[in-house]
Amino acid sequence: MPLISIDGLTKHYRGGVIALDALTLDIEPGIVGLVGANGAGKSTLIKLLLGLIEPTSGTARVMDLDVRTHGPAVRQFVGYMPEHDCLPPDASATDFVGHMARMSGLPRTAARERTAEVLRHVGLYEERYRAIGGYSTGMKQRVKLAQALVHDPRLLLLDEPTNGLDPAGRDEMLELVRRTGTEFGIAVMVASHLLGEIERVCDFLVAIDAGRLLRAAPLGTFTEHTGSLVVEVEDGRDLLAAALIRQGIEVIEDGRLILVELDGERTYDIVRDAVADLGLPLVRVEQRRHSLEDLFRDEVPAA
Amino acid sequence: MTESTAAAGDTAPLRASGPGGSIYDLGYQGYEGPRLGREAAIRALFWHTVRSCYGIGRGGRAKIAPFAFGVLALLPAVVGVGIAALARQAGELGEIVEQSSPINYASYHGIISTFVILFCAVQAPELLGRDQRYSVLPVYFSRALARLDYAVAKILGLVVSLLAIIVLPYAVLFIGRILVAESPVDGLVEELPNLAPLIAQALFTAGLLGTLSMAISAFTPRRAYATAGIIAAVLIPSIVVALLYSVMGDGPGELVVLLSPSDVLDATNAILFASSPDSPAVQDSTLPDVAFVAAAIIGIVVAVGVTIRRYLRIAA
Repeated sequence: MPLISIDGLTKHYRGGVIALDALTLDIEPGIVGLVGANGAGKSTLIKLLLGLIEPTSGTARVMDLDVRTHGPAVRQFVGYMPEHDCLPPDASATDFVGHMARMSGLPRTAARERTAEVLRHVGLYEERYRAIGGYSTGMKQRVKLAQALVHDPRLLLLDEPTNGLDPAGRDEMLELVRRTGTEFGIAVMVASHLLGEIERVCDFLVAIDAGRLLRAAPLGTFTEHTGSLVVEVEDGRDLLAAALIRQGIEVIEDGRLILVELDGERTYDIVRDAVADLGLPLVRVEQRRHSLEDLFRDEVPAA
Repeated sequence: MTESTAAAGDTAPLRASGPGGSIYDLGYQGYEGPRLGREAAIRALFWHTVRSCYGIGRGGRAKIAPFAFGVLALLPAVVGVGIAALARQAGELGEIVEQSSPINYASYHGIISTFVILFCAVQAPELLGRDQRYSVLPVYFSRALARLDYAVAKILGLVVSLLAIIVLPYAVLFIGRILVAESPVDGLVEELPNLAPLIAQALFTAGLLGTLSMAISAFTPRRAYATAGIIAAVLIPSIVVALLYSVMGDGPGELVVLLSPSDVLDATNAILFASSPDSPAVQDSTLPDVAFVAAAIIGIVVAVGVTIRRYLRIAA
């Protein structure tokens, strides 16, 4: 029995917008990345799985229960972190998360204990007694994650959890997500439009575009052929580019950078040797994924 | 990278020992306890709403308005009991004092209804508007609750909170009059017939004004709009009724009185206590008693229906 089973799920919004177009998909427990450009249907899919919106047609089952007919029963075991702000500024993190624990059906004492536990876990300490209105974006995102985790769900649905965070905040949030999936054994679905971010935490990737499934596969198969190497040298960029082209390597010059098409381990050696032979001051060599759009263009859609 | 520290925490609990003792990082603890589900969530939201109505669990400022209205609604009852006590001691003269006392069961609705409306106007917009204003609804609706449950728990929470501020002065009046009677047994026998009308009028007042306020508050996240809307919904119809009455007297226009919440409650109060209504339009009305009772009940049903419908459709 898959954790999530979606069959022909379709959602049309008023005005003829097709947010989701006959999506059929089974998802097993683990950390699942849900990628797609803005407007691809990620949030719609998550809201359908929660029963927050009604599908136009098709069914969605979570833990083998139909979310339309067994909404409250399913949602006892599901945590949801919305994309947008959802926190009342006048409440403290403790009060808000504790209240939401009870809204998930936890008894009073258990709700209080779980709230303390989960707030500590996301890294909120003394400030949890203060009003949320005074929190930084990073702290608010932690409270949003905490309310989704407080009832120890079997499935966690995160909609753009790194929204609005600075790079350090993003790293911390992604680390929390990764730990939630691996250490706590909770199945996680993370929606993001940033492939580079999502591939750091998940082991399975679902890509959707314009409401259709592009691909659902383990992460490795997604990215192995799509990398390129970014090489930056202090000067002598043209010399390096020419040297690499002589070696039969495709090169794209991009400002101070040189983008080299990755073709296995060999590419690293060639770049290293070329830089060494020319004696150029190397700043960095870095692997870079193609952008999400490139990925979608390159891949043959497979359901 | 932060991965290295986390990886260490993955496998075994971290332990730090020192002379003062040991600190264990137990990692994440799952929850194995009971999950009480939908009904428990509804009950919890109901009590949370009642507590919010009185500002419990909020800051001190949130308590000022509800408790002020509560005290203002209660004071006349205390005065009423005082008058009754004095009247008892004054003998025959006391009869006259008591007859002319402005504070009795029948008049109490008129005395406190203003505070009940103000309570609604202050608290109802906060109970519903806050969750809309800060987009908290998706967080509620993604839990063990259904949309219907949210609306029902919130409405019941306000109605029960209103009942408290209405019933408390009634109870003070009722019990006080029993205690100041020559013998408590006589007092009880004398006052007991008033119990059922008191409860019925409290239910009508809390039910109609509470559900109406929630129906209005459900449609705006803006607190000021909802507050103005609630006051307008009670005030404007009663003004229209008074104007129509003064211009046309009782005629075909008198059906409008059934759309005025304050006039309808004035009428149910007069019917229950067999007293004279405050509103001239109600006093001279040729409508049967049952029309006013039906208007109150239909008003409650419609307000609840509108609120639930709104929450079944609201975007989340």
